[in-house]
Formats: sequence, structure tokens, C-alpha cells
Amino acid sequence: MTNNRGKWLSLLCLLPFALFFFVFQIAPLGWVAINSLHSEAGWGIENFINAFSSRFYRQAMQFSLEISFWSSLFGIIIAVLGSYSLRNVDSRLRDFVNSFANMTSNFSGVPLAFAFIILLGFNGAVTLMLKQAGIIEDFNLYSKTGLIILYTYFQIPLGVLLLYPAFDALREDWRESASLLGASSFQFWRYIGLPVLTPALLGTFVILLANALGAYATVYALTTGNFNVLPIRIAAMVAGDISLDPNMASALAIILVGLMTLVTVVHQWLLKRSYHVSR
Amino acid sequence: MSFVSVENLQKNYGSTAVFSDINCTIERGEFVTLLGPSGCGKSTLLRCIAGLTSVNSGRILLDGVDLVPVTPQKRNIGMVFQSYALFPNMTVEQNVAFGLRMQKVNADDTHKRVAEALKLVELTDFASRYPHQMSGGQCQRVALARSLVTRPRLLLLDEPLSALDARIRKHLREQIRAIQRELGLTTIFVTHDQEEALTMSDRIFLMNQGRIVQSGDAETLYTAPVDAFAAGFIGNYNLLEADDASRLMQRPITSRIAIRPEAIQLSLTGSLEGEIRSHSLLGNVIRYRIEARGVELVVDVLNRSADDLLAHGRRVSLSIDDSALCEVV
Amino acid sequence: MSRVERGAAGVYHRTIVYLLFFILLLPLAGTMLYSVATSWSASILPSGLTFKWYIALWSDPRFLAAFGQSLLVCVGALILSVVLILPLLFVVHYHFPRLDGLMNILILLPFAVPPVASSVGLLQLYGSGPFAMVGTPWILIGCYFTVALPFMYRAISNNLQAINLTDLMDAAQLLGASTWQAAFLVVLPNLRKGLMVALLLSFSFLFGEFVFANLLVGTRYETLQVYLNNMRNSSGHFNSALVISYFLFVLLLTLAANRLNKDKD
Repeated sequence: MTNNRGKWLSLLCLLPFALFFFVFQIAPLGWVAINSLHSEAGWGIENFINAFSSRFYRQAMQFSLEISFWSSLFGIIIAVLGSYSLRNVDSRLRDFVNSFANMTSNFSGVPLAFAFIILLGFNGAVTLMLKQAGIIEDFNLYSKTGLIILYTYFQIPLGVLLLYPAFDALREDWRESASLLGASSFQFWRYIGLPVLTPALLGTFVILLANALGAYATVYALTTGNFNVLPIRIAAMVAGDISLDPNMASALAIILVGLMTLVTVVHQWLLKRSYHVSR
Repeated sequence: MSFVSVENLQKNYGSTAVFSDINCTIERGEFVTLLGPSGCGKSTLLRCIAGLTSVNSGRILLDGVDLVPVTPQKRNIGMVFQSYALFPNMTVEQNVAFGLRMQKVNADDTHKRVAEALKLVELTDFASRYPHQMSGGQCQRVALARSLVTRPRLLLLDEPLSALDARIRKHLREQIRAIQRELGLTTIFVTHDQEEALTMSDRIFLMNQGRIVQSGDAETLYTAPVDAFAAGFIGNYNLLEADDASRLMQRPITSRIAIRPEAIQLSLTGSLEGEIRSHSLLGNVIRYRIEARGVELVVDVLNRSADDLLAHGRRVSLSIDDSALCEVV
Repeated sequence: MSRVERGAAGVYHRTIVYLLFFILLLPLAGTMLYSVATSWSASILPSGLTFKWYIALWSDPRFLAAFGQSLLVCVGALILSVVLILPLLFVVHYHFPRLDGLMNILILLPFAVPPVASSVGLLQLYGSGPFAMVGTPWILIGCYFTVALPFMYRAISNNLQAINLTDLMDAAQLLGASTWQAAFLVVLPNLRKGLMVALLLSFSFLFGEFVFANLLVGTRYETLQVYLNNMRNSSGHFNSALVISYFLFVLLLTLAANRLNKDKD
């Protein structure tokens, strides 16, 4: 129904989009990629060698990975248990908690950091309660542990959002069939339920990882940029008061992007797998 | 004593009763079909027997023992679902072996019995395939093998052929019946397709709106429906009110009458005059709509040759034997 | 797999759900309490209740300016998104369906490239010289467009597939409409609800964006999130009132989106 002229005209419609996308997404990425290979010593992989040999930068990567890993792990465990139970309660409670979880996914970044300072800071209400009950000696929110707890908190709504529809893949008649063949609830989950869910679980874990790796606002607001994770390091070198080094920042940024891309690729691959399993 | 006995079974969803006070018995080795339109309660009844749906009151006796308090895991009943319900993360062999694994049968015996079951459904070469690599008919055969390998006392089939296309359906029908006969397994089959029910069953329970309307073998159900619903559901019966019937047969008739379309003979020398209104070709049968004495009748005639096809408007003579008249409520 | 379970299983599930709710509620509740407390330090409960922090907040001109600037930037970015993405989607779905695969990869870029990383390049490229935009709301609008892109593209793309674009266009054209007329009179009205929901959800997401706002613009065009961070040294009660006000605003948007979504079904 469409002639060639129509097609070429419509291609013109794509130009504005392409322009904006290039200017604001592709060009910066290109600059970062190119300049990561540029340092005082000229062109080469100086910056990357520096990044991996410096203890300071390695610590940033290590902390980033640790915090992301643990918060994603705890987050997904809570999210799995939460979404499964959500599917098995009556619809009013389910809709209410579901909407509430969706809303709290907006509660991240600066506001969340402040909320946690109020609750779990040195004089926070929960800290005081736990101290009085003798459960903990002292609690430092501004440490790796504190950050893991904080990150876990904002991973939960995202996890629930992603996992809740994944349970759609579990057909009721598999459960019934398994029970008629003699399987208990535990055996069903072990042999059928969890294996079928695994791609979705892994996929969600991977998204949570990416979510935590790239997070900047929360940790910045909590520690005023004083905690050593990759995003903070990168930002400090382009917008801080001291030692501006955009080339080094580019190298670190490429490392971060590399991690995120790896994570995204794995997720896409897992998505394809889960489709064929749960037909 | 009957092998399976359903006594005074009641099932409600909320405040509506799906069925109340259902009673039926099934003998050992019988192939019984629950037949009826959607919503009549046949699938619910089947699921109650399987233990997948709870009952409000009543008993389900299997070999003398009440099943109602027993969990599905322990009932030793096999079931084939409309959607096959094969476990997608397991191969055919693993699927079929699952029940034996739950029974903690040792590896050698499992392997042997799985091979036997696959041979029974003619799928030996498919042992290492996954469900998504097979057609609907093959999946259903695997499901059948899976439910048979555990040697259940009772086999339930919930509209297993509805999702398959016509040719496979016919083939599987015969296969299921042959296997059932060979194993002597008591079987309850649920369907809404009367052709399936008539060809496969020893006995049929015709259900409507939560009640068993009529039960009997295929011949009885087909030739002697008890009421208008049965007549309308099982065949293409002509249903006549008493006065129409009286006018047609020219003698007083006091109840509603059902006449099978093939029981009305078309001849050139009958006493009843009629006119052909329309025809449709159903393959081996020609279905005429004929008006006689102000009553419209459906008449089926075997399509033996092209000459048999009579044109619209043609006047014909009909003869209806008294034995073809069936009193219905 | 969703049915109500009775007995022990039901109790377990309800407990878990209540626990989940409680965990998610805690920080919010704490902040809420803090925002209406007269003072609350080194004790488990606040000493008294008051609304004075909210009054102080909503009469602060700097807050109102920041709120307004956030609104402007977000709305601007969304208008830009709609103007750019709708024609794009239409062209891709109608004329070049094979481009959809490529587009799906492209829109992964904003996910794979975190804002911090992009900011490095953005600051260098547009900090000075002929394309200087850093410090102005314009760079923010452009960046927010890339942030909203994945959500909006996916949402409208699904919508277009659901309404079966090609069939609609063909039917309209057979009845005499030109491509433009068909697009405006037939396709667009069918997209309205899905578009509204996508816009509302993208808006709440953009409204909470901090990285670009802080790194590229900072105090030169103070958005709400930057304002919130800059006020960190003022009274915690004031900050809490700020946080709760922000959250209530986003809540209203999400509720509106949900209401629209239910309408659609």
C-alpha cells in the first residue's frame, strides 16, 4: 500500500530523533570511549593499566561489585518470597501491596538516603531501638554494610515488579499433575517450579546488579561523595573540586559501561532461554 | 460392589452449587464418559474425584475406601489434562519417569517401565526430546504414558483431545481405547463431543447443569433419550411438541416426541407428503430440511450417488415408523 | 498460580505480604513522622507534633522555584519525547518493521550506559565552545529525553502491536483516508490511553532524577532533587517535609496512571 516515495519521506521523520539521540547518547559515549585511550603519555591503554594497578581504583571496583552483589542477592530473595506470597493472597490485599511496591520504587536516590539517615543514622530511631534492646552495639550506616542495607531496600520494589509476572509462567496444571504423581509441595518446587523459574530469577538478578552498579544518587546523598565506589570516583574526577582528570574518568566509565553491558547481554540471552522453556 | 462409587456429592463455589447430590457407580475395567455442555459440572466432578478440588459433602469410594480425606498425592489416580501439563524443563523420559521417582522406584525398574510405557504409546524414539519440540498429539501421548506408568487404579482424562486437530483426535481416540482395553484400566473420560463419547465408551453419563440427566450405553442414549435436552445434545433429533406430532402422524399423541433424522425414510410411495426446503452436503450424509403437514423436519439420507441429491422444491413422500418415535419429557 | 489459600498456607502468605509491606513502609513512615515532629533526637519517638515545617517549606521561594524548574524540565523533556518518538514508532512499525529489532537494541543503551558515564562525555563536549549547554536547562531536557526513551518506546510499541497498526491503516486507506489522515484520526486516538500512562510513569521517574541534574547543571538551574541535596545541612525536619511533599506529588501521579490503566482494561 505504500510507494517508495512515501517510504523515503517517512525516513526523513526519523532524522530529528536520530539527531537528538546522537547528540545526547551516542556522542558522549563516543567521546568517553575515545578519550579513555588518551592520557598524558599519549594514546594507549595507560588509563586502564592505571585503573587496575592502583589500589584505590581497585577498591572502588571491588566495593561497587560487593555492594551490588549482596544487595541484589538479598533483594531478590526478599522479592521472590514477597511476590510468590502476593500471588496467593486475596485480590484486595494483593492490589494494595502491589501498588504500594510500585510507588516505593520511586523512593530512591536522595530522598531515600535522607529517610535512612533518620531511621538508621547515629541517632536514628531504629538504631536507638536496636541498641536499647541490646541487639547491636553500634551501627554505622555510612559503611559498606549500611550501604548494602540501603541498596537492598531500593532493589526490593524493582525485584517484585519484575518477578511478579514471572510466576505466570508456572502453570497450575503442572502443580496438579505433579501432586497426582505423588510429589509433595517441596518436591514440586525442587524439580519443576524453581527450574522453570530460574531464567526469570537469573534475569532479574542481573537487572538488579546493573541497577546497583550504576547507582549514584543514593550513595552520593548518603556520604556526600565520600564513599569509594565507581560512580562516585568517576564523578569526582569530572565535577569535583580537586584533580580533574576526564581521561581517567573516561577509562573508569568504560570499565563501568563494560560491566553493565556484560550484564545486559547476559540478561537478553537469559530472556531468550526462558521463552522457549515456558511455552 | 462397584469399583468406584460417588455418593451424595455436593460442591459449591461460594453460594452457587456446581452440583448437589450426585450419585453414580462405575465397575472395574469400565470406560465411562462424562458428557455434557460447558458448565454442566463434568470437569468439576472429575477434579473432585482426583482430589484437585475440594467437596462440600458426600463420599467418593474407590475400592471401598472413601477418597475425600485423602490428598491427591496418595490417591494413586492417573490424570491426563487438556493442556498436557508436561513439565517443560524435563525430557520425555524424565517426564514419564517422574511418578516412579516420587514412588522411589529404583533406577533399573524405572528405566524398564518407562521404556514399556513409551512403547505402548509408540514414542520410543522421542525419549530425549523436550515438550516444546513436539506436536500436540505427541505431547498428549507422553502425558498418557506418564499417567499409566505408575500403574494407577483409576485413569481420568479431562477433555484430552479438545486441543488437537481432527485427524489426530480420531487416531488418538482409538489408541486410548485400545490401551485401556489391553490394561483393563477403569477409566473416566470427560468430553463435550458426543461423537467421542459414543465411539469410545462402555457407558455414558450425560450431564446438564450439575445433574446426571441420563446414563447408559451408547445405543441407549442415542436411540432413547429421556428428555428434550438429551435428544438435542446427543444427536440431531427432531423435537416435536405434542400437537405438531399428532398432526404429523395423524393420530392423537400426548407427549413431546423426538425423531432421529435417519429414521425418517424418503420414498416415492409413502403416505406422508412433504416438500424439500433446503439441503446440505455433510460428506457421506445429505441433510434435508423437509416440510410436511406444517412441520419442519430434518431428514438424513446416505449419499450413495449423485442421483440421490434432490432439488429444492421437489415434492417427496416420507414414511415414519412408529418405533422411531421417542417420547421425551 | 493465583488463588486464595486457606489454613496454614494462607496464614504464611499473609504474614509474608504484611512483612513486605512493613519493610517498604518503614523509611516512609519514619520520614513522615519526622516531618510533623517538633523535635526528635536521640529518642525513639518524637516529642511533639506540628505542621510548621510544611508551612515553612511551601512558603520558601527557593523551594517553589526548584519545584517549578523541575516541572518545566520534565514536561519539556516529555514533550520532546512525544514529538520525536511517536513519528519514529509509526514509521518503524508501518514502513520498516525490521528496524524494530535494531531499535530494541538501541534503547538498551540508556540502561547499559549509566548517567555518570555519559556525564563525563557530556561535560567535555558541551561544557564550552560552540555547543555549550552545560548549566542550562536545555542539556537537561535532551538528557531526560534519552532517559525516558526506553520506557516510552516500549510502552507505545506494545500498544501499537496490540491495536494492529497495519490492519488499521489499511482499512482506513481503503476507505479513502490519506496516510496522514489515517495516522491522526485512527491510530492516534487509539494510542491515547497507553500514551498517557507511559507519560505519567516516565514523569515520576524523571522527577526523581538526580545524576544529570547535579553533574551537568547543579545550582545554576536548581531542580527539586538538587535542592533537596543542597538543603541537607538545614533542619532534618524541614528535609523530611520536603521529601514527603515530593513523594505525595509522585504518589498522585502514580494513582492517576493506575486509574487510567484500569480504565483501559
